[in-house]
Amino acid sequence: MSLNVAQRRLLQEYRALTNNPPEGITAGPISEDDLLHWECLIQGPEGTPFEGGVFPAELKFPNDYPHMPPTMKFLGDIFHPNVYPSGLVCISILHPPGDDPNHYETASERWSPIQSVEKILLSVMSMLAEPNDESPANVEAAKMWREKRSEYEARVKASVRASLGL
Amino acid sequence: MAEEEINIPSLVIVLLVTGLAVRYFFFSGNASSANRQPGGTGGATPEELQRRREREREAAVETIQQMFPQVDRRTILWDLQRHGGNLQATTERILAGRTETPPITFQPPPPPSSPETTAAAQQSAAAAAASKYAEKKVHPDLITRYNLRDKLASAPSEDAGTAAAGAPKTGGWSSNREERQSLLRKRRDQMIIEARRKMEAKIAAEKTAAAAASGSAAAGDN
Repeated sequence: MSLNVAQRRLLQEYRALTNNPPEGITAGPISEDDLLHWECLIQGPEGTPFEGGVFPAELKFPNDYPHMPPTMKFLGDIFHPNVYPSGLVCISILHPPGDDPNHYETASERWSPIQSVEKILLSVMSMLAEPNDESPANVEAAKMWREKRSEYEARVKASVRASLGL
Repeated sequence: MAEEEINIPSLVIVLLVTGLAVRYFFFSGNASSANRQPGGTGGATPEELQRRREREREAAVETIQQMFPQVDRRTILWDLQRHGGNLQATTERILAGRTETPPITFQPPPPPSSPETTAAAQQSAAAAAASKYAEKKVHPDLITRYNLRDKLASAPSEDAGTAAAGAPKTGGWSSNREERQSLLRKRRDQMIIEARRKMEAKIAAEKTAAAAASGSAAAGDN
């Protein structure tokens, strides 16, 4: 079986993530038949309303990975300012390389081939802890987070429990 | 410019043909419903008669298709039409294998689109959309999603034992593809089960705390 650049790179990343899994992260292809489609679990960071939760998400890599970034989508309910109601994650590291047309982000914050799946997942983890208020993907969540923080936290906590079947 | 000059008349023709086709297909249905509303004329109008005939024909076709799913609608309609719509005779001819293939020129009427069925179809479509929406909106919890109910039911001590045994193994990369896959799955399941156990313990602790608080409050009331 000959692998193209994207597949080789993903296999390598999968191997690194298996040998040295970062705390609170499990990630790998759903089936090795399709290395461009991964599923991962991210633990909710401690000291945040997401604490104790485990959040499944899927990563879809383009054929020209690592030149272009994957897309990441949470598969469960996540009420967060930077996650679209569909589950799609909106953070700078997932944005195509180059300068931001709106000049919000510097090129170094955006995707580049020196980034990795591990870095994406760690960024998403810290995003859960500290939402970026500047470019909300979920306006309702952003508003609640800004104005009624305790209500936001209660809602997130309840959804974490529900996601664990409790 | 030349393209537009050709396009506009042809567009008009297409619209005209579509309009005529729609009128042809739905004329009887619309006319009868329009006639029925002022209704109360007593006798059956020709449209109503035709509708009744259509209904009977459709019922016959459906009955035959239930008996002989391999025979197509067009053949059934052709046979019914040629032999005066006698259901029994058609059934016998199909059984005997004496049905004729209809000529190419035979254009069977389209399957019925009565107001009832379209309403039902719309309703079911709406229901499907609603359920799709609900599916999209309400995700199953992780235990259901990854089918962990059995594993969760197993004794926690046993689970801890397997976890401890599995811990050194899960760290490594296996050269076997299937093994890699199953190790990944195991790690994933373990992560969810651990989270669930922790949350259960937390909720239990909160409950006892709340019970103690309310108990002391109740005691204070008394």
